[in-house]
Amino acid sequence: MKQAILSTTTLDTPRMPATRVAAVNWSACAAGVAALLCAPLFLGDYYLHAMVLAMIFLLPALGLNLILGYTGMLSLAQGVFFGLGAYASALMSIHFGTPFLVNFIVAGLVAGLVALPLGIPALRLRDTSFVMCTLGMVVIAQMVSKNWIDLTRGDMGLSGVARPRLGFGDWVYTVIKAPEYFYLVLALAALAVAAFVALIRSPAGRCMVAIRDNETLAESLGVPTWTYKLLVFMLSAVFAGLGGSLYAHFSTVVSPLVFQAYYSNTILIIVLGGGVGKVPGAIIGSFVFVAVSEALRITPELRMVIYGFVLLGLVFLFPQGLAPLFQRAAERIAGIGKGPRDVR
Amino acid sequence: MSAESMLRIEGLRKNYGAVAALQGVDIEVRRGEVMGLIGPNGSGKSTLFDCCTGLQRSDAGRVLLKGVDITGWPMNRIAREGRFLRSFQKTVVFPTLDSEENLVLAGQMSRFPNVLSTFWVGPSARKRIQALRERAKELIEVTGLARVAHLPAGHMSGGQQKLLQFASMLMPEPELILLDEPLAGINPVLIEKVIQCIEHANKELGVTFVVIEHNTDVLMNLSHRVVVLHQGAKLADATPEEVVRNPEVIEAYLGG
Repeated sequence: MKQAILSTTTLDTPRMPATRVAAVNWSACAAGVAALLCAPLFLGDYYLHAMVLAMIFLLPALGLNLILGYTGMLSLAQGVFFGLGAYASALMSIHFGTPFLVNFIVAGLVAGLVALPLGIPALRLRDTSFVMCTLGMVVIAQMVSKNWIDLTRGDMGLSGVARPRLGFGDWVYTVIKAPEYFYLVLALAALAVAAFVALIRSPAGRCMVAIRDNETLAESLGVPTWTYKLLVFMLSAVFAGLGGSLYAHFSTVVSPLVFQAYYSNTILIIVLGGGVGKVPGAIIGSFVFVAVSEALRITPELRMVIYGFVLLGLVFLFPQGLAPLFQRAAERIAGIGKGPRDVR
Repeated sequence: MSAESMLRIEGLRKNYGAVAALQGVDIEVRRGEVMGLIGPNGSGKSTLFDCCTGLQRSDAGRVLLKGVDITGWPMNRIAREGRFLRSFQKTVVFPTLDSEENLVLAGQMSRFPNVLSTFWVGPSARKRIQALRERAKELIEVTGLARVAHLPAGHMSGGQQKLLQFASMLMPEPELILLDEPLAGINPVLIEKVIQCIEHANKELGVTFVVIEHNTDVLMNLSHRVVVLHQGAKLADATPEEVVRNPEVIEAYLGG
């Protein structure tokens, strides 16, 4: 897997006819944003619901892309921090009646702070040992959420999480309808993508890529690799926690099911299938894979079987994920496709 | 402690199980010199580098850099605070980054006050990175890598990667560099280029070097002083002319 990551990742500073590639990328980006802004005009509630789910899963996927795609560590604990964010938001909303935006921020902070004591021992491990450790975190989170009944109400879960209320002063607006949810989640997901891009383009982003490429070399050039890995682990947890908060306020119910492997797997599939180590990877992945999963609800018995075959097909046909496919299509439209390709 | 001492190694010991890789080695490197380090394979040269630069922990002994005891410091701190860098026997670069990005990364930690400041993307950070880019471009010209500078470093030839690795070590304005076989596996033209780069850095930038190299002809011309290791212990410490005439060195390493 490591080799695949190395050969496909990018710092998102394309070299080839730079101005044209940038123009293509910005045009594709603008077209995507315009399509999303117009979506509620054409799509019914069911499809908007699916798109809201896709954008919610985009947040933990961005976190995973940061830690896996840019720092080279496979963490299966994104589902844990997603669930933690969901529970933190739900508990705040139910017990203290705090507004949505406060819960949203607290959920991110709780996930990030819990990641600190978990990351300190876990990041002493490398490669498969680290992966196993993060898998252990998933199992522990499931058990705690089921058995800490006083706090979580066990398998019954927490219900009655308030709908997001937004307001300034006396003016308060409760988000209830699907298009309203859609625009709220779209705005927050766009902010998360902007934060992600700022992170990977910062000098710290360069250090992350250095750690992924060769940790010992990075260390020998003065990069405190362990500190960076801990901070990236915490930041990836913040992204997941924020996603969990959106989920709690969207579904209004949180139960130990949020910690089940399905959520962690979905986040992993979004990143690997979309294109690991690429900015558009998680974005494309979240829409495609949530859409595929939802579309297959027409055959409930065969849903997961077909989903599995779709994934197998994608792995064989597009081992580097869907993002390069979209990039090539955009370049072809702009008439760039023939020149020598730059792997960055 | 001599005022001229750059690196002092005192009684350094390192065992790998029952094998004693270093048996209490004492070496002093003086500021501004190029010191050659030779010895047969398995004599402990690379282990000495590893223990001095924090890649491995020694079992006993001390390492003093400019009089400061750096024994037990993590590798990144030695590089950052000590301006003490090293290359590796097997050439390593960041394969997915191009030359400029490799070089900017190499100099980055010396330009930012702490880790958190590297997460900032404001004008001050951009200014620092721009200064590093200017320096990187100069080094790309000096090392003759301009023609391949746009390639990801993993796509460059072994010799080009070696030059890039050398240029990377000059980015943080180092005071001491340990080079582990800088000439291994590269063609004569590039050998000349690497030697020029070492001499330039030593004379113009005042960088002190310790060089492990099996190409003894080149090393003897390049070095001011040569230390010979044999079976984890120091066999000789003298000028190149004296070392090549030393019968023990001839028997253990140079051959008749």
